Amino acid sequence: MEGSWNKLKFCFPIISHKLEYNETNREKLDELCKELISLNVLDEITQMLCLEIQNTLLKQIVPEFWKPFFENNLESQSNNKAKQKCEFQIFRNAITQLFRRYQLLNRIMVQVKYLESKTGKKLIYNFDEVFKSSLLSQLPDSFTNIVHAFYYVSFKVFINTKADNDDDEEFMEEREECLGCEMLQLKCQCQELVNAFGEINLCLTKMGLLDRISGYTLTHLIQNEIYNHIQKTCKGNFDTQHLKNLEKWLDTIVLEWLTRIYNNGSSKLDPTNTKIRESINCFQMKLKYFLYEKYANSIIDQFFNIIIEFPESQPAIDDLKLCMEKLDLRAHLVETLKTSLKTRLLHQGVDTCDIITGYVATIKTMRHLEKSGILLQTCTEPVKEYLRKCRQDTVRCVVTSLIEETPSDLAEELARSEAIKAEENERNKDEMNNWQEWSPDPVDAITDSEKHSRNRKSDIISMIVDIYGSKELFVNEYRNLLAERLLINLDFNPEKEIRNLELLKLRFGENLLHSCEVMLRDISDSKRINAHILESETFTSTAEKDEPSVSALIVSSQFWPTFKKETMELPDEMNKIFERYKKSYEEYKGNRTLCWSALNGKVNIEIEINDKKLDLTVTPAQATIIWHFQNQKEWQLDSLSTVINMPPSVLRRRIGFWQLQGLIRETKENLFVLCDEKQQDCEMETQVNVVLDEEETMVSANDQREEELQVFWSYILGMLTNLDSMPLERIHQMLKLFASQGPGFEFSQDELKSFLQRKVREHKLVYALGVYQLPKN
Amino acid sequence: MKIKVKSWTSVAWWKWIANDENCGICRMAFENCCPDCSFAGDDCPLVWGHCSHVFHMHCICKWLNSQLNQQLCPMCRQTWRFNDR
Repeated sequence: MEGSWNKLKFCFPIISHKLEYNETNREKLDELCKELISLNVLDEITQMLCLEIQNTLLKQIVPEFWKPFFENNLESQSNNKAKQKCEFQIFRNAITQLFRRYQLLNRIMVQVKYLESKTGKKLIYNFDEVFKSSLLSQLPDSFTNIVHAFYYVSFKVFINTKADNDDDEEFMEEREECLGCEMLQLKCQCQELVNAFGEINLCLTKMGLLDRISGYTLTHLIQNEIYNHIQKTCKGNFDTQHLKNLEKWLDTIVLEWLTRIYNNGSSKLDPTNTKIRESINCFQMKLKYFLYEKYANSIIDQFFNIIIEFPESQPAIDDLKLCMEKLDLRAHLVETLKTSLKTRLLHQGVDTCDIITGYVATIKTMRHLEKSGILLQTCTEPVKEYLRKCRQDTVRCVVTSLIEETPSDLAEELARSEAIKAEENERNKDEMNNWQEWSPDPVDAITDSEKHSRNRKSDIISMIVDIYGSKELFVNEYRNLLAERLLINLDFNPEKEIRNLELLKLRFGENLLHSCEVMLRDISDSKRINAHILESETFTSTAEKDEPSVSALIVSSQFWPTFKKETMELPDEMNKIFERYKKSYEEYKGNRTLCWSALNGKVNIEIEINDKKLDLTVTPAQATIIWHFQNQKEWQLDSLSTVINMPPSVLRRRIGFWQLQGLIRETKENLFVLCDEKQQDCEMETQVNVVLDEEETMVSANDQREEELQVFWSYILGMLTNLDSMPLERIHQMLKLFASQGPGFEFSQDELKSFLQRKVREHKLVYALGVYQLPKN
Repeated sequence: MKIKVKSWTSVAWWKWIANDENCGICRMAFENCCPDCSFAGDDCPLVWGHCSHVFHMHCICKWLNSQLNQQLCPMCRQTWRFNDR
């Protein structure tokens, strides 16, 4: 009995709580076995040995293994790099020790198994399982930090060795520190670190712990590195495609590193080892998706900048396109873009022109991203709404940029009109031929009306016009702008305008732009008539000597925007000349006469004052005012206002121009005096060249609309007299029914509502309980 | 102070000298053209009848062509005669 116990203690020191292993040969074990069998305790002893091993694991090995992980968490080292280095070592030591003990226990286990085989029963458990489970049962929270540090350090070393091969050597030499291990170049530890790293991974693989201990951290780390890499290489850099390089980076560097970890330190994969290959492939797939997702998200997050930089940023869009084929990013893209448009474009601080530029850029970018235009439509809905609701000057801005002298996106787009038409036809044909390639709209497409699907494929100008949904508005605004330009710049070059007009006609149709055509014709006709009249008998025979040269722009009033009704009295001298001009015209044209619009036009005058000469181009009103100061040096505002036939307030504003020139002063209230004495305080610059002070000569589009609506007022009055009271919808319907022949009928219910509301404010209507009534008096 | 006007450009609109504003046939203003034309004035002139009524030339000609027997002024039903003023 005693002898047997001693033998047992010798063969298995673990039974007396010693973590040791004695090399024993088969004979000794067999002998021990026989004795134990004779004592009938073999079963018990085998189980006892198992328990003892398990105990040692739980009470000694595992706690000792985890101990440094706990300790390290407590001390906080200020230097991050040093800390990581330190953690690297801790992990390395812990694993090495664990591995040594694992091997030892394994050897003991072999002997115990031999004993078990003698009993003929299944008595012991799978050692590896127990090892793993007892290890993980005591897992500390913070252990991932250390594992992370371990892999992070080695990853950096690895990347650096890879980069070394690619980069210029000169560049590398300039650095004192090694990029990998961050030690001085001379003391570079990279190789050592690589060796240690390979060794540890091998240990982990042998213990079957690689996945359990490092798997999660590893994935996390790599994802992090992918993210950082994307940020580093691609952020703010849209003019090259990155996706290929990123994939290459992932396939070569990251996967090679992974392969090394899983494949015992070598990067060459054994083709027969399908298990490793499979897990690497699996990793690769996961990481590739992750890469796509992160890259696409980084593009989407910077989408506004990409829009601004388009078309330079086209490569980024191409990348995103590729990503979107693999991942469903539509919802995210729409949301992000909508938000960034809102925060960066749609607020008070941005000019309407800039919003339109942004809108055009968005259209172009999204067109490039997606041909069908569904995303575009969803994303730009807020822009359209904002422009429609908050920006009154949208139309004007668009029209201005359409016809501007300086090249702009829209002007270019307009010039492309014909090409686009042809393109569209081509596309329609294609669509019919390739009907098999048709695919339905995605579920998130706006499908509320037929109009949308029609507009989706139309060009940029149509999309802009689509903001308001009516061509008339744009054409009207164009007409007003054109009239303004023509009136201000009387001797202009008509060719460009004619070209513009032709392009616009292609776009909006001949009918709508007819009056603009007449306007341009009026200009050229005027030149001809002018020349004729100035040479005619009637005009020249009575001409005085040194008469100012006159000319006139003769317009067909029906086709021009309405002139303001305001008028004024010209100086007598000028009046006489223009009377003569009119007579000559009547003679020339027969049965036709002229009505002067005295306020419009421009005057070139030379003023001689205080031995100085001023050469100015001014409006007729300004010329008339200064003319009157020629003979009378002081004027009361009121008396001048009667002479010129101009309201005092307007007159005062116009005198302001001469005050600025230093020619007139207001000495007392409403008393204006010419400064022609040599006074020190009215110094003038001799070379003042002021171009026309721009005044609005036309009734604005808004006022004009007002007038149009006024036409319907009589209809509304009639309706309400007969039917007593009506709700808004019904009035709108009735007007549509009865008054649709009139010009400019197209108005919305909203427009009618605001019109009626104004009538309510003017006490011409009563609004109560949702119906409009005439006030009872 | 002496002011010398070098050039004075003014703006005017032309008007028919007639006793009405609209053409009695097409109801357009005289200064506008008849529905078949696109330019007013020289391209779409007015004509005067002895009865003192005025129409776009194109309008009254069309009207007269559509009359089978008598050539009447559509406004006063007198026989239409052009007044060459």
